[in-house]
Amino acid sequence: MTTPASRTIPIPVETGPGEPRAPRELADLAVTIGGQGGDGTLTVSDLLGRYFRLRHLYVYMSRNVLSRIRGGHADACVRASREPTAAIKPQVDVLVAFDPEAVEAGRGDLGPDGTIIYDSSVFHSDLPNAIGFPFATLVGGQVGQPIYKNTAAYGALSVLMGFDAALTRTVIESRFQRRSPEALEKNLKALEIGRKAALDAGIADRYRVVEGEAKGQVLTIGNQAVAMGFVVGGGRFFAGYPITPATEIMEYLMRYLPPFHGVVRQAEDELAAINMVIGASYAGARVMTSTSGPGLSLMTEGIGHAGTAEVPIVVVDCQRVGPSTGEPTRHEQSDLTHLAHLGHGEYPRFILAPGTIEDCFRLTIDALNLAEKWRLPVILLLDQALSQNTVTSPPLELEGVRVDRGRRLSPEALAQLSAYKYYQFTEDGISPNVPPGTPGALAQVTGNEHDEFGHVSVNPVNRVKMMHKRMGKMELAGPELPPPRLFGRPEARLGLVGFGSTIGPIREAQQLLEARGVATRFYQARTLWPVPKESLGPFLDSVDVAYVVEHNYTGQFAGLIRETMPAYHAKLRSILKYDGLSFRSPEIVRHITEG
Amino acid sequence: MVQSVKPIPSTWCPGCGDFGVLAAVKKAAAEVGVPAHEQVLVGGIGCSGGIHNFLETNGIHALHGRLLAQAVGVKLANPKLTVIAAGGDGDGYAIGMGHFIHAFKKNVSLVYIVMNNETYGLTKGQASPTSRIGFEGNVEQPFDAILTALSIPAPNFLARTFSGDPRTMTQVLVEALKFTRANRGFAFVEDLSPCVTYNDTFKLWREKIVDVSKLPGYDASDRKAVFRLCLETMDAGKIPVGVMHRTAEADPSSGSLELKLLPDLVGPSLADLSLETNRAAYAKLLQSLA
Repeated sequence: MTTPASRTIPIPVETGPGEPRAPRELADLAVTIGGQGGDGTLTVSDLLGRYFRLRHLYVYMSRNVLSRIRGGHADACVRASREPTAAIKPQVDVLVAFDPEAVEAGRGDLGPDGTIIYDSSVFHSDLPNAIGFPFATLVGGQVGQPIYKNTAAYGALSVLMGFDAALTRTVIESRFQRRSPEALEKNLKALEIGRKAALDAGIADRYRVVEGEAKGQVLTIGNQAVAMGFVVGGGRFFAGYPITPATEIMEYLMRYLPPFHGVVRQAEDELAAINMVIGASYAGARVMTSTSGPGLSLMTEGIGHAGTAEVPIVVVDCQRVGPSTGEPTRHEQSDLTHLAHLGHGEYPRFILAPGTIEDCFRLTIDALNLAEKWRLPVILLLDQALSQNTVTSPPLELEGVRVDRGRRLSPEALAQLSAYKYYQFTEDGISPNVPPGTPGALAQVTGNEHDEFGHVSVNPVNRVKMMHKRMGKMELAGPELPPPRLFGRPEARLGLVGFGSTIGPIREAQQLLEARGVATRFYQARTLWPVPKESLGPFLDSVDVAYVVEHNYTGQFAGLIRETMPAYHAKLRSILKYDGLSFRSPEIVRHITEG
Repeated sequence: MVQSVKPIPSTWCPGCGDFGVLAAVKKAAAEVGVPAHEQVLVGGIGCSGGIHNFLETNGIHALHGRLLAQAVGVKLANPKLTVIAAGGDGDGYAIGMGHFIHAFKKNVSLVYIVMNNETYGLTKGQASPTSRIGFEGNVEQPFDAILTALSIPAPNFLARTFSGDPRTMTQVLVEALKFTRANRGFAFVEDLSPCVTYNDTFKLWREKIVDVSKLPGYDASDRKAVFRLCLETMDAGKIPVGVMHRTAEADPSSGSLELKLLPDLVGPSLADLSLETNRAAYAKLLQSLA
């Protein structure tokens, strides 16, 4: 959306800034940037995120984009706070609008003291708190290409919010120095254009962003932490198929894995991806695939095969709105019931649910260890917000990382055996294993029911023993599965249960409730299946009522708890959201206080 | 010596064409010198897909149509293994067609044997993708895997054999095994393997087969010439067999996927996963976030 060249360049300020006033101090702020896809809203949000991190604030950046390359309205929201946060701020302080839709979509969330900065070369706004700058026209005239208007908007924001000028520039350099020198130069020019326009308009220092104490934090997304966990956890073979919001995992691994004798393949479809990882795992590699709803439906066949054939695999499901193609870029947690009962027939599987960046890293490693030890599929369940929203996190560390290859035998240990059987009956159902290529040990695996040697068998006695061997793992592994985290007051009678990205809004809702005199205790589930009765039971005993907070229509996790722990049926309530957007903390509070 | 999985008696009908393949695989592997523990046979679903059970070998009984994807996973995880995928025409050309076409594109060094009997034997004789028009009411054009394979310009090895000629089949499999063990790429062998119960074509096929390698103008490195020979043979009501394509050793485009990805052939399953060995590289990776 550029302005025709013949149009007169309007004066920078179309709506008066009003009288100068003292800067408003912000210790917890949010900026929303909206425009057409391709306007560069995500770039502005990224630049702000980098700046706030350098000011040692905690940062949470969410995005709301459409499933198309260009066009359509898209917005991004950056929150910066002195306190750790992983939730969208209920009220926005500054709204940057590159199109009129951004104003319409965003003004409802704008706080009473909020300011709108908009591109007046595209539209005009009469709102009293709106300040227009012809970013596209100014940049188009002075830099030659209007696409740098987003950097100019960042420049204007930096003035409005009293940013340190040198640090503002450092952010531009850090973001664009790896591109061409030309791109860096043009962005620096655009930055100055935006800064000058804002200074000329007299809107400097309306806000002041306080300095934070979050030093040494990293800024990343859940999908990147999963990819790093996979490498460090000994993962060496990955096959996938591009799908939103999971694709970044494959893309990061394409960069990370090759130096480690690792292989990453983009397969022809999800059927191939899941079967490639099954083949690679059988051959002795640590493997993973990642997908989202529609791909998961296709992989269901293969995951069942791995379950019966006892081939360890890790499957990452980055949930989006379903069913079918659903809403590819939007947020939901509606695959859980499907995953718990995935596929025809019965086989064991674990479902782990990270809730933070560190969880994404650690639970990927846990998933690899658990899959290989128990020789079954492990599902790592993320959601769109956790997968793709950018968050500050303590650095990911190697401390405590452990690679457990389970009952994998050395050649010496193998030689001690009288017979090597891939499906050997043992007390805990775990058969010893050596990879093919080991002299003296042959292994045949099958998705058909089989005897200990892997030969097809329909013997009823064998069938029952094999079912017990496989299904028994669900009970036995319980104590080894990731424990929950508990937040809040141990004596509270009001419980909250949640998993995945809802941890951020739930913890914020706890603070809001506490301020109203309502004490709460929050159980962040990190193992969803088998339902962690050992820890959930005592938690539910300790409260009068427990609200299960999740992003789906039917209350899926609450349903699984009712299915496996029927005694607690009456204590459970659901707080549900299925509009494609993440919870905001006041919504949770409202459910509880207003019923 | 540790006891490990042993071959079991075959479940095939007496006289099944697949016995020819079983014997040829055994002989060819012995002639090339493939140790049993280094061989992985990935079988499909259908009568032919149980072949690994009747051999002294590692094996996977894959899902219907997915054997190539699993075989590719095995080979890329450990390129030092000798990988053979074997299944039927329904498995490969119907439910597995996507993976079949992509196998040529990927060019991973494994031998893929399709036992083509032009029917679904295990489910009692329905028409398959290769069934002639009129067989069990089939009105669809039969699919020709060799013409399809010849149309994909990938450096690979293509052949069609006949279970009624086990000697030639053994020779072809020896060549295919040597080709893949030298990491030269994908080797596809379609064996005409009659189903004696539902589509006994032994006599018919013996009369119809024509060895293209004996025809004038044959050059296994010349796709165009062999494609023309195949079409002309089919137009004459015959079935072309023989080695249909073999990339010339000097072909600069030659190069299997595993060699491109893992030049030293040390794959994911042989990688050193210990934290000690990798500590410095891991730390560098994690620090890239800062």
